[in-house]
Amino acid sequence: MHEAIETLKRSALAELSTSGDLQALEHFRISYLARKGQIAELFDKLKDAPPEQKPALGKALNEMRRSIESQFEEKKARLETGQKKKSIHLDLTLPGLRPWVGSKHPITQTLDEIKRIFLGMGFQVETGPEIEDDYHNFGALNFPPDHPARDMQDTFFISNDVVLRTHTSPVQIRVMETQKPPIRALIPGRVYRNEAISARSYCLFHQVEGLYVDTNVTFAELKGTLVAFAKQFYGSSLKYRFRPSFFPFTEPSAEMDITCFLCKAKGCRVCKNTGWLEILGCGMVDPNVFQSVNYDPEMYTGYAFGMGIERIAMLRYGIDDIRILFENDIRFLSQF
Amino acid sequence: MKISLKWLQQYVELTVAPEDLAHRLTMAGFEIEDIEYQGSVYDKFVVGEVLEVNKHPKADRLTVCKVNTGTEVVQIVCGAPNVAVGQRVPVGLSGAVIPHNQHDPEGKPFALSHVKLRGVDSFGMICSAHELGLGDDKDGIMVFDAHAKVGAPLAQYLGKDDIIFEVGITPNRPDAMSHFGIAREVAALLDVKANLPKFQLKESDVSVQQHAKILIEDTENCPRYSGRVMFNVNVADSPKWLQNYLLAIGLRPVNNVVDITNYVLMELGHPLHAFDYDTLAGKTIVVKRAKQGEKFTTLDHKERTLTGDTLMICDGERSIGVAGVMGGENTEITHATKNVLLESAYFNPASIRRTSKYLGISTDASQRFERGANPNVTTFALDRATALLQELCGAKVLKGTIDVYPVPVKPKRVPLRIGRTNRVLGTSLTKDDITTLLNKIELTSIPSTNSPSRDEVMIEAPTFRVDIEREIDVIEEVARVYGYDNIQTDARANLSFYEHPPKKDFSDEIRDWLIGRGCKEVVANSMCDIETAAVTSKDFVEVANPISKDMAALRTSTIPGMLNIVRNNIFHGSKDIRLFEIGRIYFKTNSQAHKNSDSFVPGYYEENRLAIAFSGLSNPRHWNEQPRQTTLFDLKGELEAFFCKLFLDNYKFIPYSTDNSLTDSGLVIHLSGKESGYVGKIRPEIMKRYEIEQDVFVAEISIPNLEIARECERTYRPLPKYPSALRDVAIVIDEEISVETLTMAIRESGGPLLKQIELFDIYRGNQIAAGKKSCAISLEFNSEEQTLAQEQIDTIVTSILNHLQVTLNASLRT
Ligand SMILES: [Zn+2]
Repeated sequence: MHEAIETLKRSALAELSTSGDLQALEHFRISYLARKGQIAELFDKLKDAPPEQKPALGKALNEMRRSIESQFEEKKARLETGQKKKSIHLDLTLPGLRPWVGSKHPITQTLDEIKRIFLGMGFQVETGPEIEDDYHNFGALNFPPDHPARDMQDTFFISNDVVLRTHTSPVQIRVMETQKPPIRALIPGRVYRNEAISARSYCLFHQVEGLYVDTNVTFAELKGTLVAFAKQFYGSSLKYRFRPSFFPFTEPSAEMDITCFLCKAKGCRVCKNTGWLEILGCGMVDPNVFQSVNYDPEMYTGYAFGMGIERIAMLRYGIDDIRILFENDIRFLSQF
Repeated sequence: MKISLKWLQQYVELTVAPEDLAHRLTMAGFEIEDIEYQGSVYDKFVVGEVLEVNKHPKADRLTVCKVNTGTEVVQIVCGAPNVAVGQRVPVGLSGAVIPHNQHDPEGKPFALSHVKLRGVDSFGMICSAHELGLGDDKDGIMVFDAHAKVGAPLAQYLGKDDIIFEVGITPNRPDAMSHFGIAREVAALLDVKANLPKFQLKESDVSVQQHAKILIEDTENCPRYSGRVMFNVNVADSPKWLQNYLLAIGLRPVNNVVDITNYVLMELGHPLHAFDYDTLAGKTIVVKRAKQGEKFTTLDHKERTLTGDTLMICDGERSIGVAGVMGGENTEITHATKNVLLESAYFNPASIRRTSKYLGISTDASQRFERGANPNVTTFALDRATALLQELCGAKVLKGTIDVYPVPVKPKRVPLRIGRTNRVLGTSLTKDDITTLLNKIELTSIPSTNSPSRDEVMIEAPTFRVDIEREIDVIEEVARVYGYDNIQTDARANLSFYEHPPKKDFSDEIRDWLIGRGCKEVVANSMCDIETAAVTSKDFVEVANPISKDMAALRTSTIPGMLNIVRNNIFHGSKDIRLFEIGRIYFKTNSQAHKNSDSFVPGYYEENRLAIAFSGLSNPRHWNEQPRQTTLFDLKGELEAFFCKLFLDNYKFIPYSTDNSLTDSGLVIHLSGKESGYVGKIRPEIMKRYEIEQDVFVAEISIPNLEIARECERTYRPLPKYPSALRDVAIVIDEEISVETLTMAIRESGGPLLKQIELFDIYRGNQIAAGKKSCAISLEFNSEEQTLAQEQIDTIVTSILNHLQVTLNASLRT
């Protein structure tokens, strides 16, 4: 019986190899693989075999059938494609079947890039509420009541002592209220300003703020950190400068400028012909801020910095009207 | 504020170029935001001398002139009738831009170049006052004084060659809000001296005490009030020089008395106010608070209602001015004014700010008082203004000053530690370095009596430096004068690490997945109108002082904003929409759950939401596939795939029993048993409101709930050892029975070996009874112990079918 299986296999394979077209192949199929073909006949004979040999013979038969079937299918497929090639011209230059293409909003892309750099320096992301109380938004940040510094930020009020936060700095307070130094927090978020909407300002925008508190943190280190950031973000060849400024919650306070990359510092409309672009505000955490969170200002020093994400995105992509960022036109979004 | 360099030069010698000065001031914390070159309008204009005037060979009305421009003699064809030899005239040379074209109906400027006029060369233009924008005379050229210097730049000759700096002054530096204040900073930067203006004042023999009284009732809010009285003041227009200074910095000249008070304000930074002396009842000044509800008409002719907190200047009978903010109409200087009482006072900053805020008036005076004026400059400013009134208005000044100053303010003393300074800045400055730096800006070191440590120095700050109160304020000054750029850039980060594990930003994960799935991220406004906010929650948060009605509340759903974006995109031709947003929604709450959370302000709650909108084609147009419109199942499937990606095993979509406010047919999403959002089709009424005409499907899901639902660590499960067996069955059930019910019934009766149930076809039609549907379902069986035999599977399938028949009256389709 084993011999019969072997013989059938050999003759089948030989015939298969000489079947040169689909018609010959159909003959082959009827002769061997059909319900009443030679392989089926052999299966019929299995019932006469001695019972102890049946499993082994069955297995051998099955294997033989599978092998011939697969080679038959393979050959058939080959012949079919060959035929198709002759009749239909396959134009491979047709476009692929493309799915929809997604995109990340340019504000998020810019924030992601900033986050990536500071997370690499050991900062951790912290967030806080947008509906904020007067204490966290102003009082604890050393904006005394009835102080003109409050005019620096036009505020939306919800009630007398609840506001839409005007900056991400209240999260500094919330972080320090719940954690002990060392603190290295990166705080992204949406902030609100009650300003007329124009090409240059929108009623809300996004900031990302950093806070570092530890023993022996210096202004020199603040400069070092921000220069390292700026070089990673804007390129290592840029020049920078720090100028004195004023924020109630930092002292000394500074603004950081970098050389205008749009005009290569020659002076253009965007940098108002100065060759410099302001990119962020920063400073050493004011001792009064430490006092409001019960940190000992003699023991700890720290720095904070903050930047507007829209402004950076606009500079980066050459966008001249902030409102387009919030219109979400697909033709705009597709560019990022 | 605007600073005129000509004006500034009265007090300090400017030894560097304007651009260099601008840079230095910027680097010292006084950002020069803009430089205006007044003379730039008259670039390439000079004073010329007419040497010859000859007739034009071809035109009677024109003459051919030879004009000396200082460096050369040029030929100019001129059409003016009044041109004559020997005149000094304004000449525009090639390249000059004539501000006003007389022959253009709109008077547009035009640039001069070499032209031929009726065949004769002309290399410039002799201009009329009208053409130069200096007056209305257009009939003839302007003719200057015979002594005008030939060749001088026109701007210089006209006195219009000033350079104006726009200086950004931070709110902590009111002392710099004047020309002298900036001069002090410039002096420190250039290592020169700033000099106060010099003047002479001649007083009459009559003592002021006989003619006026000053009484301060509220000494807390008015620590000092100084006044002078002068008679026979001739109110008229100010002289040109004074008007030019005021115009240069954007102030409108009024009359000489008002102009002088403004001039001294801008010179010394101290606000003054002039009263018409003859209108003062009892010739008395009383400083006290207003009566609650009192009505008062200010200089701008507006009637104001005062609070009991408003500090007022009064005469013997009535209010005559809102202290430090604005004077009253009743005592205003007019052309009829003969005698003047001049006020120079110091008011409490907080009081002035409250009044200014309350009345909604911000003036040059109130801005300086609320930031902090210098109490010790009142009499100097008063004398300076009085001297000018004497010089320019012929005032007869009464002898003496009435100066009520019960508790003089002394300069502040602040101890400064050298070590601390270096520790904060990262510098290594010595005590000498530091005192030298501070001396430049008049912060002096005082030899201390109580033997200070060698590390400490006592610093005294002049009273104009209202910002210096603490050690850190002095440290900032050290840094500022030393130069921020001179502090080294210490890139060695002093690394200390957080102990608690970093928070994972789940939003990033959601965002990346959806972008990969072909969705575009949007960022929408979180403010909306009240009606919109109220649709999705009655607990919306209102903004007390909105910009407009459209933004009077915070959104309670991300969907309306999304619909606006969808509408605008369809309008602009982008009809196939796959958008998402990750953004917050806001509520008022009394819920205890949110009350105790220290991450929100009590009474309010904010939640991050994921919003998705699908509309238009389900897939981009393909050359070999029929386009298909998006259905609810596209969006539902997108969510199922995402939940699958997150390995959420406890989620449920439950069809609405009643309509949601924004969507009609749709499903509520439950995550870990908590209602966490919905997916649905926008209702027709809403579509109409947003003017959208194609179906829009939206989903909104709570991100915190999503995050909680997936908070489980993944652990590895060994792969199945034995092959799975698949069995397809077609089950006929009543149309009303949901596929979910059918699936659950199969699950219940399938036993532990049934691993997967997959619906792959639904058939309705004439091969089965009406009111029935046939669901083709693929069942996957698998055992951990053995390869399943046909008979085992048959048994399970039979028991499933029996169960379905009993519970759902289902039958096997044959
Ligand atoms: Zn530029």
